[in-house]
Order: sequence, then structure tokens, then C-alpha cells
Amino acid sequence: MTFEPIWNSIIAWYLFLAGLGGGAYVSAAFLRWRHPEAVNMIRIGRVIAPVVVIVGLCLLMFDATAGLHNPLRFALLLTNFGSVMTWGVVFLGGFTILALIGAGLDLAKRRVPLWLDIAAAVFGVCVAVYTGCLLGVCKTFPLWNNALLPILFLVSAMSTGMAAVLCVAIFRHPEEFNRVGVFKKFHFCLPIIELVLVASLLFVTASNASPAGWESVMNLVGGDCALAFWFLFILVGLVLPTALETWLLFFSPKEFEESRKAHWISFASDAGVLVGGFVLRLLVLVAAMPLTLVVPWY
Amino acid sequence: MANYGMLINTKKCIGCYACRTACQRQNDLLPDEAFIRFEEREVGTFPRVRVEHVPLQCMHCEDAPCVSVCPTGAAKYGTDGIVEVDQGRCIGCLYCVAACPYQVRVRNSQTGAVDKCRFCTVAAEDGTKMCSCVEACLTGCRIFGDLDDPDSEISKAIVETGAAPIAGDLTKAKIYYVR
Repeated sequence: MTFEPIWNSIIAWYLFLAGLGGGAYVSAAFLRWRHPEAVNMIRIGRVIAPVVVIVGLCLLMFDATAGLHNPLRFALLLTNFGSVMTWGVVFLGGFTILALIGAGLDLAKRRVPLWLDIAAAVFGVCVAVYTGCLLGVCKTFPLWNNALLPILFLVSAMSTGMAAVLCVAIFRHPEEFNRVGVFKKFHFCLPIIELVLVASLLFVTASNASPAGWESVMNLVGGDCALAFWFLFILVGLVLPTALETWLLFFSPKEFEESRKAHWISFASDAGVLVGGFVLRLLVLVAAMPLTLVVPWY
Repeated sequence: MANYGMLINTKKCIGCYACRTACQRQNDLLPDEAFIRFEEREVGTFPRVRVEHVPLQCMHCEDAPCVSVCPTGAAKYGTDGIVEVDQGRCIGCLYCVAACPYQVRVRNSQTGAVDKCRFCTVAAEDGTKMCSCVEACLTGCRIFGDLDDPDSEISKAIVETGAAPIAGDLTKAKIYYVR
């Protein structure tokens, strides 16, 4: 029997959007702390967060066909606190409510309490980690069943959340975009950390006791997923943004950095981060091989 | 309380799929929905080779990963050590399908809910004999019974044949294989 991935693009979109939403709110909270004058960028983060998470949740419900046919069953999601998915529902529910309040207050030009931003950012981190743990507890798949994956998803979530905020800011508020130097430097570090985490994940998974680990890694680096892995994830999603931002942040003259041309380069780099973030989720879902097919009962 | 399990002797299996068809009829499954999955592989060294047929189905694990991950409590431990799926609670999130190391859970394409071998509890409630796959097997590969009763046919057969779960101690599986 050839193995068909259990979850594919719909769930990859959901994992991506949930992480992005969490990251976007964390970005807003970070901007409030380090760049309180960038009020429009803070608003962008607060608004993106609930919108993308709600879209992700709709996708999730659409994929859970039996629940879609009987929506009341979704209430049962809160019955097994031994399941990571139940915790995910708690985090996603809490996050969506907090982020909606934050976005609502901001759009109504009311002051958003600091505690609300902190609470929503904490829930945002929980949502991002949860997307990794959801897969991480499945012992069936060595590519998922390790402690690196939730951390990788967390870093990627923060990175994509920040990239989304920056992408919108480039078009809507370029003057604020030019002034958030600390924010951009943090954003710059994340793809580098991701590269280290991905390399570690591949090495650890490849040497898993079961050949399933090796097979999964081979799917990524040399099999059906290789083109997407090397080109879309590693090159477009990690290396290109790192290279472009290194140049813009550290080697280009200040006047150029604030020019429209530089903004387009930044946009390309952030769009790359977003593409990479989605492709990472999709590849992790489809490349994972299960223990018992590759090692069939020897 | 019994602790039901099954023994499957792959040395006797000819790969006729009668068990799977009987199961589909007994449990009124859709044509594309089967609780028994067959794996075939070549064993031995040339020139003495043969094809081994291995029917796989829910192992009714005592430490079932599907039960621990199910967010709605649809996957649960029923009576007599049988792992059940409450079709009225399942939302079809497929988390159990991902968690099951044996890939033996299937989605009903009409309802969207997940299902799997029930050890024919439906039949048991009707008062007929349990497990149509056991009845249907032409070569007598399958034995169903109480693992906790040392005098049961299955307990004796496990001792005699040295049958063991398919993947060692991956989970505490209750389907024993002779291979």
C-alpha cells in the first residue's frame, strides 16, 4: 500500500494561518513596547490576527466533515483535556476573543489596555506552539514526534506574523515602516534561527530508530517534495529573506533603505517568508512517513 | 468482564479477502469503506519464496493512541476491552487517523465520521455470533476469544503458536499474529 497523507493543504493553511495570527498579535504587542509611535502598524497587527485565525478555523471546520454536517458536535471538542486538540480549541478560542476585543477597541480609537495586549500575545504564542504540538504527539510519524517541531512552528509563526504586518505597512504606512528598526532586526533573526532548527530537525529525524524517519527526510530533501523544499522553503522562504535583509539593514546606505525601491525589496523578502511559512506546514504534513508502513512487521 | 482479542494465522491466509467482504456486509459498510486492510510482501530467499498476506485491522490497543488524542471523546474504551467509535460524537477531524500507528481507521465518505473494526459488537447485541470475519475465513486463520481466560481457544493457541502483536510493543495490541 502506498501511503496517502492524512491531512493536506486545507490543514496546512489552517496551521499556517493560526501561527500567522498568533505572530501578528505578538508583533503588535512588541511594536507597542519598542515602537509605541507606530500606532498604525500596531493596528495592522491587531486586525490581521483575529481575521486570519477565524479564516483558519473556518477551514478546519470545513475539513472536519462529520462536524460540518452536525455543528453541535463541535461543542464536544472541550470534553477530553488529555487531547492536544482540546487544548488547541481553548487557546484558539481565548486568542480569537482577546484579539477581536483588541482589534475592536483599536479600530474604535479607544485605548487598548496593556493587560489585554499581553494576554492576547501570550495566547498567540500558545496557539503557535499548539500547532506544532498537535502534530508532535503523534508517535506514528518520526518527523512530527519530536520536541523541535513545536519550536520550529513557533519561530516560523512569529516570522510570518511579523512579515504580514510589515507587508501591509509597506503599502499603507511606509513612514512608520522606515522607523521600526528594532522590530525589523528581530524579524531578520528569525529565518536564521529557522534554518538551524530545520537542519536539526532533519538530522534528528533521519537518525530515528525507525526507517520512517529516514524516509521522511528523504522525501523532503530528495524525493517528491524536494523541489518545494529546496526552492520554495529554503531558498525563497529562508535564504533569500536573510540575504536581502542583511544587505538592506547592514550594508545599504540609509537613504536607499528608505527609498521606494528598498521597500519593494523588503516586500519581496517578506512575501518570501510568507510563502516559506505555508510551504513548511504543507511539507511537514505530506512528507511524514508512518512507522508501520516503512517497517512492516519484520 | 472479558478481554477480547483475536489471533490471525498468516501462514494459513491465502489472501482471498473473504473476511473483508464478510465484515463489510455484517457492518453494512460502504463499498469504499473496509475495516480490514491487506498488506502483501514477499518472504524467503530465492528459490524458496512465497507471498505473505497480512490482514490488518483495529488492534483494540489497551493504550490506544486514538482514544488519547480524540478531542470529542468519540474514540473510547468500551466494555470487554473493545475500542469503540461513537459515531454520534465524531467530528471527522482525523486526529485519530493520524495517531493510529497501524493506519486502520477509515473515514465514512457519506457521514465524514471515522470508523474501524468493532469486533462485531453490533452482532453481539443482536445475540448472533461475534466477528463475521472469523466465520467467513475459508482456511480458519482467525480465532476470536477472551485473552484473560487461560482456557479459551485463543489463549491456548497463542501459547502453542507463539503468536505476537504485529509491531512488538509499539502499543499494547490485542490482535496476535502467527507468521
